Amino acid sequence: MSEEALVGLFVATVQFGTLVFLAALGELIAERAGVLNLGVEGMMTMGAVSGFMVGLETGSAWAAFIAAAAVGALVGGLHALVSVVLGADQVVSGLALTIGGLGLAAYVGRNVVGERPETKFTDLGIVGLADIPWFGDIFFNQPPVVYVAVLLGLAVWFVLTRTRWGLALRAVGESAPTTDAVGHSVMALRSGAVMVGGAFAGAGGAFLSLYMAPGWTEGMVAGRGWIAVALVIFGAWRPGRLALGALLFGFTLALQPRLQSFDIELLGVDVSSISPALLGILPFVLTVLVLVIISWRYRHRPSVAPAALGLPYRREER
Amino acid sequence: MIRPVLVRRDRVLPATQSLGFVVGILVALVLGAILLWVSDNSPAEVYERMFDSAFMGTDSLSRTLERTTPLALTGLSVAVAGSMGLWNIGAEGQMMAGAIVATGVAMMADGLSGPLLIAVMLASGVAGGMLLMLGPALARSHLGVSEIITTLMLVYVAIRVVEWLQVGPWKDPGSLGFPRIEEVPDQASLPGLFGRVNIGALIALGLLIVFSLAVSRTAWGYELRLAGSSPDTARYAGVSLRRKVLTALLLSGGIAGLAGTIQLTGTEVRLTPGLSNGFGFSGIIVAALALMRPSGVAVVAFVFGAVQVGGQSIQTLGVSSAISDILQAMILFGALVAAVFFNYRIRWTGPVGESSGEELEEPDIAVEGA
Repeated sequence: MSEEALVGLFVATVQFGTLVFLAALGELIAERAGVLNLGVEGMMTMGAVSGFMVGLETGSAWAAFIAAAAVGALVGGLHALVSVVLGADQVVSGLALTIGGLGLAAYVGRNVVGERPETKFTDLGIVGLADIPWFGDIFFNQPPVVYVAVLLGLAVWFVLTRTRWGLALRAVGESAPTTDAVGHSVMALRSGAVMVGGAFAGAGGAFLSLYMAPGWTEGMVAGRGWIAVALVIFGAWRPGRLALGALLFGFTLALQPRLQSFDIELLGVDVSSISPALLGILPFVLTVLVLVIISWRYRHRPSVAPAALGLPYRREER
Repeated sequence: MIRPVLVRRDRVLPATQSLGFVVGILVALVLGAILLWVSDNSPAEVYERMFDSAFMGTDSLSRTLERTTPLALTGLSVAVAGSMGLWNIGAEGQMMAGAIVATGVAMMADGLSGPLLIAVMLASGVAGGMLLMLGPALARSHLGVSEIITTLMLVYVAIRVVEWLQVGPWKDPGSLGFPRIEEVPDQASLPGLFGRVNIGALIALGLLIVFSLAVSRTAWGYELRLAGSSPDTARYAGVSLRRKVLTALLLSGGIAGLAGTIQLTGTEVRLTPGLSNGFGFSGIIVAALALMRPSGVAVVAFVFGAVQVGGQSIQTLGVSSAISDILQAMILFGALVAAVFFNYRIRWTGPVGESSGEELEEPDIAVEGA
């Protein structure tokens, strides 16, 4: 394998990692507030199509990115309305969000399938650092969204662990009645968390349609929203571990299309002879294996999941 | 400031089970009409076309029933797991797994006579669905790994395996280089009933009846529901939770595998990556709308079959068939919201101290509204 291919692999690792990290970070915020949102795939897809269309219309990648985040928040708002304000089943509402989001995105984007974008994010060479061999390309010559994601990760960590807001948010994910009794609004905290989470997922979708695979096709998110949901479990609901997990999953997602071009042998099998379709199962099998291994390792410990995750709250029923 | 709050009704409104679904349909039709209207289509024209193509005439009805069959089976698959509070959202993949194993068996057992081959294929399809479910089921029963994510992940695995099979080992040598798998032998086609409907519809109906009775009328079904609603009570009563989780999930996978095989031998004749066609995902909505009751699945599946047939038909009007996916999700959202209002009523309330007389005699503090 050439040096160039190896650098390319790690550059793509950071980008795929960013894609799932953005969506997973949003899901983490919602879940820390006690709301499971299985609509990530739908929110990302809506973000991808609306980001692409706004990009076509305005010619500005940033306008598209922000519009996608707004659409993601709006779609997430539907989940908040149904499952938080009205207290319906979070699993059902989230699944409906994914199925409906995929359908709505297909409908909204039916006329822009196959269009070539005139605008997309360009790589941001950070002066001085981008020229460092290897590391320069991998860390300092990436599209701006990568750095935005890093900043958002730090911001989420800071807000969750160092501010009163974050404290209230984590509290409502552990016990809604207690938080309510202290005087915080359970509805506002949870709805806000779900909508911010939706914005992150929508932004992730736009990163996909404006940079990683410029354009719009139905089903282009291809399960990566679901990987993001699994990633939150892998990350034990902590932004730091989430980032590590995102890089691991980013690596498998980046590896899969490249593995064929690598002239390596694994367990006596020439990797380049394996069909790309078969290599495509890698990230999904890995997700399952990782979940199983985590549960096996921590089987004797108490769960680290937010205690109120998935439980609706109605004040008169406490 | 006066604001709305949700208060639990003293008495749940009568007949709400089926009403939720009806309200859901109405909500979806209204929202769908708005969507069609803003995108410059005539809602009346589109809906009329959908209705006609789904219900008017024998051919239309047979198309609707053709789609009802896989929807009823995937709906039942999700409902069996759902009756103990588990979520199989990977029926799409188990359909594929069933069809893969059945295709493989058909390739090996080409010489068998029709009925025998069909029976062997259906059985192997069930086994295929169970096989794909085995990992998630064991992970859930023994380690508590969420079956939601694992079953979904395996959908992508199953579809990619079919993609691999059709370009690789199972590529039809007679396809002139086109990547596709050979058709299943003629004698394996399911006998037809009328129009496009084959005996798969009867198999689905039979299974719905069997599971409907088994879940609601037998000790097995009672234990299943008990294990879902109150695990501690079930354990105290001597029910093995692990075994119940395994049984429910494996049965769920097996039924989805059967759905895939019936699609293979009755409708599609050949294994393709598109064979499951979203039926597994629609099955989730079907089961949720049927409130996880096998008896309700048949009705919801029929309506969804009609929505899908209608969705196909409006493409000739230049309207995207994605409308039918949107309608399905909207029906579910509508029903979810309706269910809340069947159990709760809105009361307008002021801040503490300014409350009305009603609240004085009934001092339950209400939930805050939006």
